[in-house]
Amino acid sequence: MSNAYQLIEHNYDVVVVGAGGAGLRATFGMAQKGLKTACLTKVFPTRSHTVAAQGGMSAALGNMGQDLWQWHMYDTVKGSDWLGDQDAIEYMCREAMPAVIELEHYGVPFSRTEEGKIYQRPFGGMTTNYGEGTAQRTCAAADRTGHAILHTLYQQALRHNAEFFIEYFALDLIMDDSGACRGVIAWNLAEGTLHLFRAHQTVLATGGYGRAYFSATSAHTCTGDGNGMVLRAGLPLQDMEFTQFHPTGIYGSGCLMTEGCRGEGGYLTNSNGDRFMERYAPNAKDLASRDVVSRSMTIEIREGRGVGEHKDHIYLHLEHLGADVINERLPGIAETARIFAGVDVTKEPAPVLPTVHYNMGGIPTNYHGEVVILKDGNPDYVIPGLMAIGEAACVSVHGANRLGSNSLLDIVVFGRAAANRCAASIKPNSAHSATPQPAVDKILARFDGLRNAKGENPTAGLRMRMQRTMQNHAAVFRTGDSMAEGIKLLEDVHDGFEHIAVSDRSLIWNSDLVETLELDNLLGCAMVSIKSAINRPESRGAHAREDYPDRNDEGWMKHTLAWLGPNSAVTIDYRPVHTYTLTNEVDYIPPKKRTY
Amino acid sequence: MAQFNLPPNSIIGTGKTYYAGAGTKNVRRFQIYRWDPDTGENPRMDAYEVDLAACGPMILDALLKIKNEVDPGLAFRRSCREGVCGSCAMNIDGTNTLACTKAIDDVAGEVTIYPLPHQAVVKDLVPDLTHFYAQYASIKPWLQSATPPPERERLQSKEDRAKLDGLYECILCACCSTSCPSYWWNSERYLGPSVLLQAYRWIVDSRDEFTGERLDDLEDPFRLYRCHTIMNCTKTCPKSLNPAKAIAEIKKLMVERR
Amino acid sequence: MSIRTPLARVRGLGAAKDGTHHWWLQRVTSVIMVPLILWFVISLLSVSRADYATFQLWLSNPIRAGLMATLLVTAFYHASLGMQVIYEDYVRPEGAKVAALLATQFVLFLLGAISVIAVLKVALA
Repeated sequence: MSNAYQLIEHNYDVVVVGAGGAGLRATFGMAQKGLKTACLTKVFPTRSHTVAAQGGMSAALGNMGQDLWQWHMYDTVKGSDWLGDQDAIEYMCREAMPAVIELEHYGVPFSRTEEGKIYQRPFGGMTTNYGEGTAQRTCAAADRTGHAILHTLYQQALRHNAEFFIEYFALDLIMDDSGACRGVIAWNLAEGTLHLFRAHQTVLATGGYGRAYFSATSAHTCTGDGNGMVLRAGLPLQDMEFTQFHPTGIYGSGCLMTEGCRGEGGYLTNSNGDRFMERYAPNAKDLASRDVVSRSMTIEIREGRGVGEHKDHIYLHLEHLGADVINERLPGIAETARIFAGVDVTKEPAPVLPTVHYNMGGIPTNYHGEVVILKDGNPDYVIPGLMAIGEAACVSVHGANRLGSNSLLDIVVFGRAAANRCAASIKPNSAHSATPQPAVDKILARFDGLRNAKGENPTAGLRMRMQRTMQNHAAVFRTGDSMAEGIKLLEDVHDGFEHIAVSDRSLIWNSDLVETLELDNLLGCAMVSIKSAINRPESRGAHAREDYPDRNDEGWMKHTLAWLGPNSAVTIDYRPVHTYTLTNEVDYIPPKKRTY
Repeated sequence: MAQFNLPPNSIIGTGKTYYAGAGTKNVRRFQIYRWDPDTGENPRMDAYEVDLAACGPMILDALLKIKNEVDPGLAFRRSCREGVCGSCAMNIDGTNTLACTKAIDDVAGEVTIYPLPHQAVVKDLVPDLTHFYAQYASIKPWLQSATPPPERERLQSKEDRAKLDGLYECILCACCSTSCPSYWWNSERYLGPSVLLQAYRWIVDSRDEFTGERLDDLEDPFRLYRCHTIMNCTKTCPKSLNPAKAIAEIKKLMVERR
Repeated sequence: MSIRTPLARVRGLGAAKDGTHHWWLQRVTSVIMVPLILWFVISLLSVSRADYATFQLWLSNPIRAGLMATLLVTAFYHASLGMQVIYEDYVRPEGAKVAALLATQFVLFLLGAISVIAVLKVALA
């Protein structure tokens, strides 16, 4: 059966899977350093979801007033609700300034100040002097920063003649008996061929799994493919219970309205016209951290102060900013609101709702991007040959809740870090070890099985059941009972997947099969996510348990590791949070009560 | 001669019709181009009746509904669903646009959907854009300078930055290029509106020092001067950009530097 | 079909560093023709009922003869430039294009020459 597939073989020093911001930065970083690098991507690079990032990228440049990377670090640690690893956070915040400058040198069309410097705007949770003032730290290209950065990174990849395999869908990692990753097998959609890529390092830059939920700001392609591959490789995912809800997704369509709206002075109101965030976060108000704002909005709606016919959403006001400010700094938002909500934001408020936006959890790595797991008592055991960066990874710099504009930073900093690590550890063009045939056979057998699946459950139906379950049972607020119910429903979906129906047997652009493979990945993520969530009896960051409303640092300031076994059984263990910094230029920030 | 009639293997036949169930009230019929590379048969138009009462407002919502509920084999690209990634560019109701930002209500009556015109088809609504992407790469779309970059950011005045507005927002969806008759006839040598817009984005960037070389590389009867100001590009751009104006600006600079 | 990379196909033979002159002349000739044609139409109305002798006298004015010759040269030159673009747009293969181009340019040059000589002949008679 699996012999029927002819594998086209390739040898590379490094294979990067995914061509979003992180994947592209890693790819051309490696190419620049003389490593033979292939970048596999299921969509053309500029279609990756980085393109949809709006508000900006944080860095303590101090273009708009005094700023220090130590303040940025403090905000990030506090934002993470002390679940972030402080060595990695220090690394990211220090590297932020050179990273932004580097992007500017590459040609990113940042908005400018009167002096011609990069324009920076306020963002949620970003403060000066350890929480006292409001920082203007988020470097912006109007409200299309992600688009500007992604296109620039692709342009740099072109400049460095990076090698792309576009519209190749990665199927699985090739793991050998020693537990090392030897490469990846991928499916070329345009030609219908299967390819084996040998690599000394395989870098997963596959993004998040927002589409596990019914309503997400994420693109249709955010299906946690790297996470799924890691789970099937018998490796754990970390902190999967932490899913960020962005406060301002457009009611109905779920399209993103950047936090930059509030950064530029926008505010939220309930049905009484109250600026309710003043009650929940007296200092930061509408610019509190995302988890705080999303919870506040949810409470307002629950207590009957939602707006609209069903009192089920909130208004975001921009009209007081005036058309000039909106046209200069938020033009994309104005367009999105007009198309998807029929609202002219210069005249009336936009209807918004907390919407799934980002996965703090993912593939556990150190700050070099190397995948680390708990093995034989060592919580930092490095998996040979495997790295992860970007939203797919959990470094963990975002801990239990990411701050807005830290993700564009994350992808660029750790994409570069991964390239540096590979350059230091790989000798270009060195010989590859043997490819384990049983692993290859297993991958092909799975592919063939799904391609010829003749069950009774079409992919779309199962996907909808999974999405509804996650939406209802792993939401902004969670309870043990509701999640237990959700787990049961999700296990039903998993059982249904055993009898999935794929109607298209073709190998050329068989998007039915692609969606089925994606559903498999999503389902793994969803299962691990909700089971990690029910396992954590505390509220921290984006994980808000109504039955355990307080943070419990003694018992739970630790990373969850979750392995997915047969029959959707999930095994859980833990890694300690790194309670130390990278250098002695900054002290460890001890946990304290988190208020905004 | 440029070929004005369809080659025999591109002649479109009539395909299947999928009817909406009984009792549905607000039904709209979608005629969708289908081509299956595996059979090698000629393309066909399949008709799908969609109940708009149970469907989102955009054309993409209808396509997803068809794919999810009626015909999982239908192939089309999609990703962001909010008009920023450029994946779902296709010809809807005779105009190239993005399925995700085109409202069904903006089309009167039956909705016809074809892939982007005059591109090789991979399958159904998926065109092969390899050549388009290679053209993009050919204009060296990155900042070029001989002066070493400063320690900090390169400075750029607000006015100079404003010159990039209307240019850098391009999402490379190829709607404009594939709507241009000149590009249809001469795409092997004419760069097309999208790529020329991008070329101009770097020509006017105050930070770039290779303006002259960029103009040199464009000065060609085909690469640039196949633009006959037909204006389809500007009319069709789903992001409301103006490639025709960018091309005119390039031509102006060509004359200016003589 | 040749097996080349997409970029090789796009780059082809490189930029000709040409085309601006052609494009510019096409604009210049069309702009020149606007007043000339206006003048031509108005003049034609004024001498439309005149006999040959009157017309000959009218054209023997050096300014009128000059304008008339310039209009004719510009018109045929403009036509030649325009036809070239049309052939480049639509005519394949390369050989047919070059042949059509040469033939048209020859005919237009010839017509231009004949008409200018005719103007001179009438004006100088």
